[in-house]
Amino acid sequence: MAAAARPGPGVDELALLEKLLGLPKGNKYGVQGERKVPVLQTNNGPGLTGFMTIAAHLVKQAKKDQLLGSTAEEKAVVQQWLEYRVTRVDGGSSKEDTRIILKDLNIYLEDKVYLAGNIFTLADILMYYGLHHVMVDLTVQEKEKYLNVSRWFNHIQHYPGVRQHLSNVIFIKNRLYTNAH
Amino acid sequence: MAVTGTLYTYPENWRAFKALIAAQYSGAKIKVLSSPPHFHFGQTNKTPEFLRKFPVGKVPAFEGDDGFCVFESNAIAYYVSNDELRGSTKETAAEIVQWVNFADSDIVPPASTWVFPTLGIMHYNKQATEFAKEEVRRVLGVLDSHLRTQTFLVGERVSLADITVVCALLWLYKQVLEPSFRQPFVNVNRWFVTCLNQPQFKAVLGEVQLCEKMAQFDAKKFAETQPRKEPPRKEKPPKEEKKKEEKKAAPEEELDECEQALAAEPKVKDPFAHLPKSPFVLDEFKRKYSNEDTLTVALPHFWEHFDPEGWSLWFAEYRFPEELSQTFMSCNLITGMFQRLDKLRKNAFASVILFGTNNDSSISGVWLFRGQDLAFPLSPDWQVDYESYAWRKLDPASAECRTLVKEYFLWEGEFKHVGKPFNQGKIFK
Ligand SMILES: N[C@@H](CCC(=O)N[C@@H](CS)C(=O)NCC(=O)O)C(=O)O
Repeated sequence: MAAAARPGPGVDELALLEKLLGLPKGNKYGVQGERKVPVLQTNNGPGLTGFMTIAAHLVKQAKKDQLLGSTAEEKAVVQQWLEYRVTRVDGGSSKEDTRIILKDLNIYLEDKVYLAGNIFTLADILMYYGLHHVMVDLTVQEKEKYLNVSRWFNHIQHYPGVRQHLSNVIFIKNRLYTNAH
Repeated sequence: MAVTGTLYTYPENWRAFKALIAAQYSGAKIKVLSSPPHFHFGQTNKTPEFLRKFPVGKVPAFEGDDGFCVFESNAIAYYVSNDELRGSTKETAAEIVQWVNFADSDIVPPASTWVFPTLGIMHYNKQATEFAKEEVRRVLGVLDSHLRTQTFLVGERVSLADITVVCALLWLYKQVLEPSFRQPFVNVNRWFVTCLNQPQFKAVLGEVQLCEKMAQFDAKKFAETQPRKEPPRKEKPPKEEKKKEEKKAAPEEELDECEQALAAEPKVKDPFAHLPKSPFVLDEFKRKYSNEDTLTVALPHFWEHFDPEGWSLWFAEYRFPEELSQTFMSCNLITGMFQRLDKLRKNAFASVILFGTNNDSSISGVWLFRGQDLAFPLSPDWQVDYESYAWRKLDPASAECRTLVKEYFLWEGEFKHVGKPFNQGKIFK
């Protein structure tokens, strides 16, 4: 698993999101500062700065607001996981950080199909992009240990339009190692 | 091109739900005919015209605008689906058929045995029920291990498999799968709740209330909904009749819910017919209530003529006040209930009040009903709201009852038990 700190989410991921949302190409991005924070040049007004700000903007541009959650509660949960994505998933770099993230998520997803509960949202999309490099490296045993994360990840990677050029992570559906529930 | 046509069924038929949910996904346009005068279950489906199109005479039955006719609920759901729901490869299509058949062969029989007696539409047999419970446990176990690694039953999207199995489990989850029974089946629960919350399911099923306490066989309810089996018998019936009756009684155990619905049908028309005449004339009271002063005329009239033997008074309180956000939505909740209870107007009267304001409200009311029992279980239409309220029978002789009747009928008073100010009231009459 990656040991060095990863660069924050950037322009590449925004391009994936644009394509998934069915937006025409043409948004112009720049980066700002040492951490290469993405900036979106808009025609009117000042540019938008920051990955999550731009991601939310793209969703609205595509008129898919439901991806940000429908009820107030859903919206809050989506925000919560987007923040988790940036601070914990992108911020963490050690093996231990990764282990804790997977453990947290595994518990959380035991009784939920999507991060916001019952509905597919931007949180699922960006968490999938953010965790792809982690999931690719998991052993079969680890995938089984984090069964709920695996089931969720596999579902999201099959969601129409999400995976694109990213590699398909293989999950074995029968129990290999554990007998326990 | 999306299918368009008409679905014949009786109201709230879970078999019909399969096609209706599938249509939500595919965009098929389905008109539902489920009540008179357009479709009268037990009569329309026995007419030569119907039988010509649907020789089995059962519902649901589907007639396309182009004249294409098909019966059997699974076939109808298949027909109104799109390719995603049916499975786009041979393998996924086969797996979908597998689960559809599994639902009919492994879920529906034990589910019916267990649930129907609790609805008062089938005899209770302890041994059969216990056996059915174990079968349900086994089936849930099978589904649970499958859904451990799967989000939906087949592939990574909702298919006819999910629609069919959810509908087959619906009554179980509503009536008997109380939290402790369903708790071990985490994966089934997750999948089931997620399906229920997909907009396409919600559009057909509405809010589904999962069982909180396992419903038990209700002998009284059963007797009330079985008019054909317990004819009023003053004297011993002549021999011949008795024979006929025995013949009828024999296949009773096999009766499915539809025939039961049929059996209950005449009762539904006038569920109060069996009650002795009452001196209290509801219409007279309603006239007074509508046209004259409540405090000085209607209320005294009410207590003067009220017949505690032929009528009962109930206090009903909405069980989920925390869900009441916007005032106008709460009002719709009340008026919606009144509409669904339309057929009860001759036998009931109520004042239901919304207290409080947005995000801090409660709903409660005082109901007057013909007879000593709540009539709701007698008709599926009436059951929609019934379970959302806590019902408490009032003792008409008690001071509490007098106060409640006075305050609720008058829309004025302390409303001591409420603790929120009066917002608005609605009268069911
Ligand atoms: N396997 C059939 C069952 C249909 C069925 O039993 N329909 C009942 C209503 S639930 C019916 O129409 N019964 C009328 C009768 O038997 O006369 C399906 O799934 O459509």
